[in-house]
Amino acid sequence: MKRREFWLLVTPSVIVMFGFMLVPLYRTLRWSFQKVDYGSPGAEVGLTNYIGALTDPRLGRAVLFTVGLTVVVTAFCLVFGYILATLINQLGRMRPIVLGILLISYVLPHVVGAVAFSWLFDSNFGGIVNFLANQLTGGAFGEPLWFTDPWPNRVIVAANVVWFMLPFAMLMILAGLQGVSAETLEAAEIDGASSLQRHLHVIIPSIRGVLGFVLLIFTMDVIRIFDSLIPLSPQAVGLGNESIMLYIYNVAFREGAVNLGLGSAISVLTIVLILILLYPSIRGIVKEARA
Amino acid sequence: MTIDLTQVGDAAPRGPIAAASALTDSDGPTRPHRSRRRTVAVISALVLTATCLLMIFPFLWAALSAAKPTDVAFANPPVFSFAPTLQPYVDLWQTTNFYLYLANTLTVAVISTLVALVIGLPCAYALSRYGGVASIVLLVLALVFRALPRFAVVLPMYEISKSIGIYDTTYALAAALIAINQPFTIWLLRNFFAEIPRELDEAAMVDGCTRFGVLRKIMIPLMGPGILTAGIFVFLFAFQEYLTAAVLTDVSAKTVPVFIATQIGQNLPLLQQASAATVLLTLPVIGIAFVAQKYLVAGLNSGAVKG
Repeated sequence: MKRREFWLLVTPSVIVMFGFMLVPLYRTLRWSFQKVDYGSPGAEVGLTNYIGALTDPRLGRAVLFTVGLTVVVTAFCLVFGYILATLINQLGRMRPIVLGILLISYVLPHVVGAVAFSWLFDSNFGGIVNFLANQLTGGAFGEPLWFTDPWPNRVIVAANVVWFMLPFAMLMILAGLQGVSAETLEAAEIDGASSLQRHLHVIIPSIRGVLGFVLLIFTMDVIRIFDSLIPLSPQAVGLGNESIMLYIYNVAFREGAVNLGLGSAISVLTIVLILILLYPSIRGIVKEARA
Repeated sequence: MTIDLTQVGDAAPRGPIAAASALTDSDGPTRPHRSRRRTVAVISALVLTATCLLMIFPFLWAALSAAKPTDVAFANPPVFSFAPTLQPYVDLWQTTNFYLYLANTLTVAVISTLVALVIGLPCAYALSRYGGVASIVLLVLALVFRALPRFAVVLPMYEISKSIGIYDTTYALAAALIAINQPFTIWLLRNFFAEIPRELDEAAMVDGCTRFGVLRKIMIPLMGPGILTAGIFVFLFAFQEYLTAAVLTDVSAKTVPVFIATQIGQNLPLLQQASAATVLLTLPVIGIAFVAQKYLVAGLNSGAVKG
């Protein structure tokens, strides 16, 4: 393809992406060095916002919460997604039905799913989970304070994120399983490898690439967690269950809080973190393109 | 007498075991193997059924709450026998602007899907065929854009849209979503284009077709599944979006996810309307999950293969 043709074809998309992404990004970068309110030009304050962000214990808590949530959710979804994919891979006629059901939580707007989730736990609205758990355990489950106690609240937030992210992990791994060589598996079986050994030494190594990709997407997406917390953690700030995105929202957008400079500084710091995490993938793309 | 009875009682359960061991002897090692396989099948069926139930449970519960009379809808402990009602749906339709929010959501999703495909297709085609540095740079930038924290672009968009007077309009929201989802669109379409052999382009160009002719007459017809997959995803992303819609809209361009999120913390009838809204929003989504399953899976897989 000629250079001129390339530029003609990519121009509309590039204009949209750069116009609507780079221009706002530049604005965020400028704001991060200013004290600024909506609708008025800011005053330069140098690194004050960055110093403010880095010394705010709230940011430390938000990072800890977000990273902890990412690790727990990713580990669970990788393991359980693998088990589910293996089970679904053996299904025959039921497969489309099971896949269809599992896809629902993935395609539903996350905030709507989280609202529906909150009704399961809120004792003001029936609290079906407490009810069923107490029926099963004869009342030993008690009434955990799902929305006001830090750990129970973390549990429902993590459960909700797993709920809508698990189908994605399962589908990716299911796709990866299609590429595992049947011959190698058969050879391992003839050599007397147990089922567990076949998974550990044949299947998992051969879908390493897919698992790495799932890890990458989960890292990018769970770090940006926001939607779920709005209905599930109304008291996130007090409980220490504020995610990085929610922190930015609370200081820079929510009514009465318009510290746009500070919010922008945290955005910039998050971008730096994401770039570091993305570095291996970026190198991979460049290497693949050069080859 | 007592001794006799115990012996009889003991003999009964022993019977089948003896029979089974006799079978094992004659049948060789297949018998325990088969029964183990059956156990595995039962366990896997149980795990899958339980998972499916857990996955749809929040939705079922919302549907059940919407069907109850308002006074017991969210009663604690939950009420399981009640006279089903459609009142929340009627109220939702008559007392709120739900139809407006639904229309907004669909307008935004349709516009952003169409425009994303029209500008994304040529770009993705070029990215799959041009090996220069610019191509790599664009792909890497797109990956970075895909991973950006939303607020880094959405808050400036809020300010810009207010200052030029397009705040709270469906087209401003659609434009923002086109840009935000463009990186995903071009990556997905590029991976589909990459699977079409380049020889096809070359043969057509030898026959006198221009580059644009190749894209329009040869590539686009071949890209049917790819376009459908990308279209479904961009539509879903726009339809799902909460954060961007919450920041860029207020009253007239509000979307259904934002509406449902603002209903929480309200009083009971409003909450019940929110559960009715959840059901109305979920039903078409279930349709998408079942009908478009093939394309959803294909789209996710194409991402997995090429990263």
